[in-house]
Amino acid sequence: MKEKYGSKVFLGLLMVFFYLPILYMIVFSFNGSKSLSKFTGFSLRWYEQMFANKSMIEAIYYTVVIAILATIISTVVGTLASIGLSKSKKVLKTYVEQINNLPIMNPEIVTAIGLMLFFTTMKIEKGFITLLLAHIAFCIPYVMLSVSPRLRRLDPNLANAAMDLGATPSYALRKVIIPQLMPGIVAGALIAFTMSFDDFIISYFVSGNGIKNISILVYTMSKRINPSINALSTIIVVIITIVLIVVNLMSMKKTKTNKTGQRIGLAVVAACVGLTIFGLQKLRSNTGGDFDPIETYGCDTLNVFNAGEYIGEDTIAKFEKKYNVHVNYSLFASNEEMYTKLLSGESYDVLVPSDYMIEQLMQEDRLQKINLDHIKNYDALSPMVTGLDYDPKNEYSIPYFWGSVGIMYNKNKVSQEDLETEGFGILQNPKYKGRIFVYDSERDSFMMALKHLGYSMNTSNLDEINEAYEWLRDIRANDPVFVTDEVIDGMINGEKDIAVVYSGDATYIQMENPDMAYYEPLEGTNIWSDAMVIPKNSACPLLAEAYIDFNLDETIAYENSEYVGYTSSVQSVMDDLIAGEFKDLPSYLPRSGYDKDEIFKYNPKIRKVISELWVKVKAK
Amino acid sequence: MNNYRRLIQPYVLWISIFLVLPMILIVLYAFTTGGNDVLTFHFTLDNFARFFNDNVFIGVLIDSFRIALITTILCIIIGYPAAYFISKMQVKSNAFFILLITLPMWINMLVRTYAWVGILSDNGVINNILSFFGLGPLHMIHTEFAIVLGMVYNFLPFMILQIHASLSKMDPSLVEASSDLGASKFETFKRIIFPLSLPGVISGITLVFLPATSSFFIQRLLGGGTILVGNLIENYFVTTGDWNFGSAISLIMAVIIMLSMYFTNKLDKERGED
Repeated sequence: MKEKYGSKVFLGLLMVFFYLPILYMIVFSFNGSKSLSKFTGFSLRWYEQMFANKSMIEAIYYTVVIAILATIISTVVGTLASIGLSKSKKVLKTYVEQINNLPIMNPEIVTAIGLMLFFTTMKIEKGFITLLLAHIAFCIPYVMLSVSPRLRRLDPNLANAAMDLGATPSYALRKVIIPQLMPGIVAGALIAFTMSFDDFIISYFVSGNGIKNISILVYTMSKRINPSINALSTIIVVIITIVLIVVNLMSMKKTKTNKTGQRIGLAVVAACVGLTIFGLQKLRSNTGGDFDPIETYGCDTLNVFNAGEYIGEDTIAKFEKKYNVHVNYSLFASNEEMYTKLLSGESYDVLVPSDYMIEQLMQEDRLQKINLDHIKNYDALSPMVTGLDYDPKNEYSIPYFWGSVGIMYNKNKVSQEDLETEGFGILQNPKYKGRIFVYDSERDSFMMALKHLGYSMNTSNLDEINEAYEWLRDIRANDPVFVTDEVIDGMINGEKDIAVVYSGDATYIQMENPDMAYYEPLEGTNIWSDAMVIPKNSACPLLAEAYIDFNLDETIAYENSEYVGYTSSVQSVMDDLIAGEFKDLPSYLPRSGYDKDEIFKYNPKIRKVISELWVKVKAK
Repeated sequence: MNNYRRLIQPYVLWISIFLVLPMILIVLYAFTTGGNDVLTFHFTLDNFARFFNDNVFIGVLIDSFRIALITTILCIIIGYPAAYFISKMQVKSNAFFILLITLPMWINMLVRTYAWVGILSDNGVINNILSFFGLGPLHMIHTEFAIVLGMVYNFLPFMILQIHASLSKMDPSLVEASSDLGASKFETFKRIIFPLSLPGVISGITLVFLPATSSFFIQRLLGGGTILVGNLIENYFVTTGDWNFGSAISLIMAVIIMLSMYFTNKLDKERGED
């Protein structure tokens, strides 16, 4: 009796462990505010937003379609291959079994980069097809793994008997062998579906050109975690629970005919395929009425590649509606990631990189000139962000957002005096041990170290860089936490007292938590500017120009800037926001004209050095 | 009978292209330098020398395997009794618990891991509850504890399902026979049940240890920028764009994992032959 009681308690605790995060997720999907740790009241806004968010609907759609197609194909191929394999010679059998184990026995990340290298080498453009092929590739071995044991138990004379009785091989296969294998096939299909549905690592490396599944979407929502994801997951939980209950009820009544089951199965598959085709058309269909974009711009699809959460909520939808086009909107977490994706053969029409990256793209001749006659709102741009060194005539780039890097601090816990006397050095002040977030950016971390040491952040001097490296290593004594997106939620909740942040994030944080303030150290900092550019291989430059111009439109620029908190490049929007919504928030209007501030320059020699040193700063 | 033999031919072609060729490419990149073009390569061991001559990289590698090992051991310690208790239940509740364990796997791994951030953080759910009782705060997020917890959370179901599968395949009359012959419960477990469930434990180890070594987002979300070997690989492929060095690190990791799996399996076989 005692033992039974103990086992119940144990399993109960285990279930608490398994379901605590899920319960948490469900509760916070109804949260009134954006916070992921403070519940502020019941609301359905994240559900509304989820259905309104096109990239989320697209991600759900691709996840489901890829999972269905990959499951069907890998189950059919895997089953046939297993049958073939069971009749093959021993040498071939061992060889195939060994290779089959590769995706199972190999770390997923290795399979992922292998496939990525393969697609890149073969110059296959990354997107839906590569994603599907990769999913089929890693699903088949699991199907075979679950079908093969059944085959071994199958009497080899069965098929022979059927054929002796006059059945053709394919008839015997369908009527005798396959039904015998059915439980294994179904189990294999289920595993395949689960693997594909939940896959992140492989999808992350092989997908591109705006095709993303739910996992990639979650991962690249890098700036601000969007609670709509919780809403989506809650819906998935509900659907799966219902499906499982129905399946269980059906299997309890598992009496009548197998045929009904087969028919239901077929109907489900047919419905899925139908849904797939319908969804595809619906997603691609345009809603802008009679306007024909092909006639005017030569194309009706635009591929935009931007940083995560770096645009107004409805900007894309409005653009699509106005121009009657479809936008594939993809996200990157850093300039470097964007660059690597470009190198690995993805093509886009509009990119939004930072200053130094634009310089690099220009030097490598990867951009095309923008016809300023088509940018009707060009004159609305602030003189602070036009004509910068890297593109003095704005021939290749049109400014989007700009800002600085600074220190966000809790007014009640950090002494203003420490901040003013120490600048970035406050990160090494033992008084604030364990109270610090450092933004996980190699460039800006080295920037603050170099600035603090009195060097230029664009230095090529390796001694200075090594000194900066040592300085950054010394910060480690203060136990800083290296974060990216979590810094926003973390500072809103007051988890730490000091954080290195971008000015736009600072604005957003202060709107939610008035205890926080923003400080730009007197040692100088990085004044950056992100701009829209058109890659050389864009198939749609005219529409790309229309998109760029659209983002400079006063209303649109206002919505973009107000939603994300970053400083607009449009002068009137900047003025309006600093006088209104973002009043008394100096972070919205970063310092300009200070002689110690700099803009990053492209420096090919230093890039890899800094990147490797930054890994070493973070490693133990 | 041989009618079905040719069914394998297209599949051999498929795996050669999609499973073998990518591996060859990784090896090729790992042993070459210069550019990301296959046509301009020349053979070198530099990438490996660079890795093994650097204490930081070695440290990262050791950390990764240490954390993966801790995760795997915890999964066995928690997963084995769980699987054992479930397998002893009646058919209905047995199936119900297996369902309960599989269900979370359907929710996106990243989303579930994000949820832990909110639960573990300094102002999160657990600390709120603690402070209600006048306790805490307990600092959990951004520690190794959080990373291990995230990994155990994500990979424990694999362990339970594998062990459960091998336990339920076992013939119950063996256990009866053992106790009829006078063996104590513990002895029956030690001599009959555990050895027979070992294959399940071994495949469970594979399914936990592998993803735990190569994971990169769990430590990113819960570890506050902790670098493990998965992050190194991601960094060299995605951020630095040094695919040759990234391939070399992948190859080093894959070889170590395969060796450790080989020895684990061998251990299992030797035991079986005793």
